[in-house]
Amino acid sequence: MDDLVDDASESLFARPLVPVAGEDDARATAAAVLPRVAAVGGRPVFVHVIEKAGGAPDKAPLEQREELAEELFAAVRRAGEDAGVTVETDLRYGTDVADAIIDAAHEFDATCIAFTPRGGSRWWDLFSGDTRDALVTESDLPVVALPDASEEGESS
Amino acid sequence: MSDEELAKDLGPLAALTIGVGTMIGAGIFVLPGPAVLQAGPLAAAAFVLGGAIALLTALSASELGTAMPKSGGAYYYVNHALGPLFGSIAGWGNWMGLAFASAFYMAGFGQYVTTFLAVPTLDLGVATISGVKIVALAGAGLFVFVNYVGAKETGKLQNYIVVTLVAILAVFTAFGAMNADLSSLRPIVPPDKGISPLLPVTGLVFVSYLGFVQITSVAEEIQEPGKNLPRAVIGSVLIVTTVYALVLVTVLAAVPNEVVAGNDTAVVDVARMLIGPIGAAAMLFGGLLATASSANASILASSRINFAMGRDRIVSEDLNEIHPRFGTPYRSIAITGGFIFAFILLADVETLATAGSVLHLIIYGLLNLALIVMRTADPEEYQPDYTVPLYPFTPIVGLLTSFALIYFFAVDIILLAVGFTVFSMLWYLGYARSRTTKQGILGQYILSRSEKMPEAAVSAATSVQPDGGQYRVMVPLANPANETDLITLASALAKERNGTVVAVHIEQVPDQTALESARERGDFAEAHELLERARDDAETFGAPIETHTILSHRSFEEIFDAARTYDADITVMGWGPDSHGAPGRAESAIDELASSLPCDFLVLKDRGFDASEILVPTAGGPDSELSAAVAATLREQYGSTVRLLHVTDDQEEGERFLSEWADEHGLSEAELLVDETADVEGSIERHAEDASMLIIGATERGLLSRLVRGTLVLDVVEDVSCSVLLAERKRKRSLRERLFGRN
Repeated sequence: MDDLVDDASESLFARPLVPVAGEDDARATAAAVLPRVAAVGGRPVFVHVIEKAGGAPDKAPLEQREELAEELFAAVRRAGEDAGVTVETDLRYGTDVADAIIDAAHEFDATCIAFTPRGGSRWWDLFSGDTRDALVTESDLPVVALPDASEEGESS
Repeated sequence: MSDEELAKDLGPLAALTIGVGTMIGAGIFVLPGPAVLQAGPLAAAAFVLGGAIALLTALSASELGTAMPKSGGAYYYVNHALGPLFGSIAGWGNWMGLAFASAFYMAGFGQYVTTFLAVPTLDLGVATISGVKIVALAGAGLFVFVNYVGAKETGKLQNYIVVTLVAILAVFTAFGAMNADLSSLRPIVPPDKGISPLLPVTGLVFVSYLGFVQITSVAEEIQEPGKNLPRAVIGSVLIVTTVYALVLVTVLAAVPNEVVAGNDTAVVDVARMLIGPIGAAAMLFGGLLATASSANASILASSRINFAMGRDRIVSEDLNEIHPRFGTPYRSIAITGGFIFAFILLADVETLATAGSVLHLIIYGLLNLALIVMRTADPEEYQPDYTVPLYPFTPIVGLLTSFALIYFFAVDIILLAVGFTVFSMLWYLGYARSRTTKQGILGQYILSRSEKMPEAAVSAATSVQPDGGQYRVMVPLANPANETDLITLASALAKERNGTVVAVHIEQVPDQTALESARERGDFAEAHELLERARDDAETFGAPIETHTILSHRSFEEIFDAARTYDADITVMGWGPDSHGAPGRAESAIDELASSLPCDFLVLKDRGFDASEILVPTAGGPDSELSAAVAATLREQYGSTVRLLHVTDDQEEGERFLSEWADEHGLSEAELLVDETADVEGSIERHAEDASMLIIGATERGLLSRLVRGTLVLDVVEDVSCSVLLAERKRKRSLRERLFGRN
């Protein structure tokens, strides 16, 4: 392999797996990730996980969340076109969102898992589950937390 | 595991526990007291009768569920089969019925808590809130919160709760059976009241049978719904009915009726007598679990109903926004919570129970009706894996018993049901009709057979059709030569109003050929090509387009039907020898059709589409209003020069009229021509020489009918050399005209 290594495959952003949770999150994440991917000619995979209750009715209608997934993937693909990056998307289902993301990263031979942390009080994590924390502690691949591009602009 | 298996993760047992868990709470832990008070041992029969009525609807719900495993369940089937008017009733009914039922479960929860925890009555000066209601409000707050933040642990908890409950009730029944003394069951019929309390009490306890339909609201998440959904729906009703009947019979056989009658927490006291303090504690625990799980499941189910209603635009889609952090439909849950709080505050336990029951009975009746409609209309995509036994007997009896039971409710509850139905219908007419686009199978069925159906049914179906609030321009295509010109004109109209072009190709089938067989072996290559070209043309102009092919024995008349079916606001059609075959009916029938146009009509005598120089002759009136609107649209889209012509015998008055008319119709920049002559047609012909298009409003009624009969005396249409657009407005006939014909 070594003799075939080029810049793209060496880079952390050659094949990032990018989990997105909602449409706003997808937009913010795409804005943060895509310039870095474009810079190394990488091929990102955006993944959205529909959280399942695993044997009980879900907290939101399945059809509605599948529709939302389509919308957010469309937003991601548009952002990809604008940035000149070919974006792959993958919809997954799982009772544990972090596990599903890590599984996806392995399946796609991802170079890293990249995301923008969503704000909000830790207290609510008691109810909504702390996917961010689980990703960081459980992943055996590099996990890259990127600052929100819009906030980055504001602070500088 | 495949995605499909992961997405649909409700197995047969999980589906069953949704039904059992939602139902098993209320009936046995809250209602024996009031039911036995009113009906004595006959209360057990009321539970069985309620279960039997529920079972009939459960059979129908199972068939509909296997044919359409969609989110929203009962609402979805009713809306799909009977259309959005009934869909509004079912949607609101299901939503509010669940809110009433949840309030009832929480009031029961309050009764249980206050047996061991003294909660003082709150005195607000203007009103007092009892301890039971305070606990009910707190409980409702808790379960709304749990669903709002989507704590995922609660879902699986439901399964354990159901198993625990069934175990507790089994032990309780066993103890009861050991102490049973059949003599205390007699007299079964209370001697002072006779059998008359049976049906009112059935209505009261019917709130115990609302849960099975919630299984259908999560049908999309069930594995192999074709097999598991009927098992869960029917199985849960059978299990719950059996449990209710056994528990109640043993209770009444084991202790004197007086212990139960009017006792809010009767089963706890009975358990204390039969088993001792441990039994009482277990039943108390059971009562809390049961009412809590029922309320929790109902709040969750109501968000499914909201989602399905929002998708069909019966309510605003904003209601169903998903919380960015919790991933829950938080607005829907919060608003449902608001209703639950209000109902707890405003009504007592029996009112809550009967209100929840009566609204569900309306839905159950409609559900059975929906099944009958689906079977009768038999659309191609209707392929249920499970079919109701003894059709049509079962759904008809289900329909009749559901509606008939409403009669035995208290008068104020019946009024609530009626008022609620009226509200839902007004909601449809005032809000949803202009937004929803989905037409029910029933409406399509009636309108597609409008010639065979009674006229009353056709006009009723037509007048409540949804219009989606969208401007729809229908173009019947027949002649490839003028397709582009018609689509061009239609696209301009659609674009101006953010509307859609609906291109239809009416394929005329010889009378000897059945439509079905024509559909099967038909060769529609030509039609496809024509519609494909229409699609390309419309897309060139940036107008959204949908295309349809219609098979019909009639061609011209079918245009009117199609305009109704596809909910057209205006129809743009060509006119010429090749355009739309000769009418297949007697002239009087054409007159009848054309005298009540389903929408506005524009008929193009095509001599090439060129909108650069438009001439609009006018003498006022509704039809020339339409020509003015079309002229304004073409000017907007093509920068046309518009000239208005008024032919009069008084120059001064004519000028005043025309400038006012131009102002009123947004054509004040147009060139105004006033001709003082008696020769109207000669004047129009003269001015049309400079025009590329002439737009004439039908000055007389029935222009279209005369057009097809070839008796149009407007020679001008033949004499001018430019394209001519004839405009005729939709009009409503007065009642007198409908009854006695025109004139």
